[in-house]
Amino acid sequence: MAQLQQAGPEAAWDLFLDRYRRLIFAAIRHYAQDYDDVMDVFARVCETLRADDLGKLRAYAAQPDHRARCSTWLVTVVRHLTVDWFRHRDGRRHVSAIAEQWPPLRRRIFEHVFIHHHSHVAAYEMIRAENAPTLSFGEFLSELRAAYRAVTDGKRGHVLRELWPAPPPDAEPEPAATSPGDVAERSQLVEQALGSLDAEDRTAVELYILDELPGALVAHIVGLPNAKAVYNRVYRALAVLRQRLEQAGVRLEDL
Amino acid sequence: MSHPDPLDPLRRVLAVHASGAPEEPTLECLDDDTLAALAEGSLGVAARAAALGHVASCPRCRSIVASVARALADPGVAREVASPGGAGRPRFYQIALPAAAAAVLLLLAWPRHTDEGGSPPHRSPPGATAVPLLRSPVGVVAQAETLRWTSVAGADRYRATLFDSHGRVLFDTQLAETLAALPDSVVLDPGRPYLWKVEARTGWQRWSASGLVEFSIAGGPPR
Repeated sequence: MAQLQQAGPEAAWDLFLDRYRRLIFAAIRHYAQDYDDVMDVFARVCETLRADDLGKLRAYAAQPDHRARCSTWLVTVVRHLTVDWFRHRDGRRHVSAIAEQWPPLRRRIFEHVFIHHHSHVAAYEMIRAENAPTLSFGEFLSELRAAYRAVTDGKRGHVLRELWPAPPPDAEPEPAATSPGDVAERSQLVEQALGSLDAEDRTAVELYILDELPGALVAHIVGLPNAKAVYNRVYRALAVLRQRLEQAGVRLEDL
Repeated sequence: MSHPDPLDPLRRVLAVHASGAPEEPTLECLDDDTLAALAEGSLGVAARAAALGHVASCPRCRSIVASVARALADPGVAREVASPGGAGRPRFYQIALPAAAAAVLLLLAWPRHTDEGGSPPHRSPPGATAVPLLRSPVGVVAQAETLRWTSVAGADRYRATLFDSHGRVLFDTQLAETLAALPDSVVLDPGRPYLWKVEARTGWQRWSASGLVEFSIAGGPPR
């Protein structure tokens, strides 16, 4: 990277590409499998990194110290550009065309969750408030799953989980709460219970359960010695969450 | 007999009640260097505690850290992170990666064929339609003054592109023939690898592409 600051734009780019193109490709291929997609994303990455006389690379090289290895930083940058590229390609116009064939409720769900990136609960509340006052949360989840299935149909690769919130579990039972107030209140209770955990525990819980990251990787991130320590933390945190919610008069099974 | 996972209720609750990840970063969001360091586990105790303090309440940063950590655990990525640009690669990489870089510059240099709505052009899936077969030059050749390929049924135009090993476009042209003469301005050095490809236009916004083929002029230093 130090050489980047000394070399001219063309020579610096050659140096950079010579050293890191395999890494860039490997990172893109982690997220996307389709050959054309990989090539298009690679083009986008090169275009961005070359812009403004390698402005992004030079800015990074000019920093007095770095917290991460250069190659890991580059993987992070490539990840952003890859996700942005897919968001742009599969953006509003493309997926809206798919949704045109859907029932009105599924379309509304699609707009809230996939276009406006609202949480599932927020989407449910807004749809009920707008024009479906009798919509139950179970009906909402059923249509939500159908929307996920249709949008992700035929797509492959890790990029899928980067683009949208995690889909609801398939075996989602009909929750006891059916009014928007109930759902919002319970969502708030969950948030408060999570907020009562310290940052390390909460991050471990969310990475392990919500992001489905392997225990060993979670351990790496939160600074625990191994996966076993993560399991212990998460199960202890689960017990704390249960306790907090029960103190508020709610059982996890009721949510 | 199966035992239910005691985490299932929490998993369900989190999946349903979790906040959606915002697309845009806030002023408090971590920079890429810190996100990367958190994902690779290289932050010191104090810096990690500060970073986790934000990540715990920011779905965006948490999802990025998870994403990068997952990528770093991918064997293909891990190998390159450990030794970026490492030597001793199989020959496949020596050909495929310069070829890919070449294709990138091809993409950058040429106007994208998009319709008014900005949709990507149709592309023929490999094997679905005939593609041009590159006849010469292929491999080590005595000279390369022309590029020759086979015709494709229904194609009314061909696009030929020549790249050097760094992916720079040395020559590109569109024509109706299956032969393109290289101009004198294109000087090919003996012993250096070059790549070329041809796309055939088989319909409106539909191009059928050959693979990238490598060749070199004999007489140069051993590779």
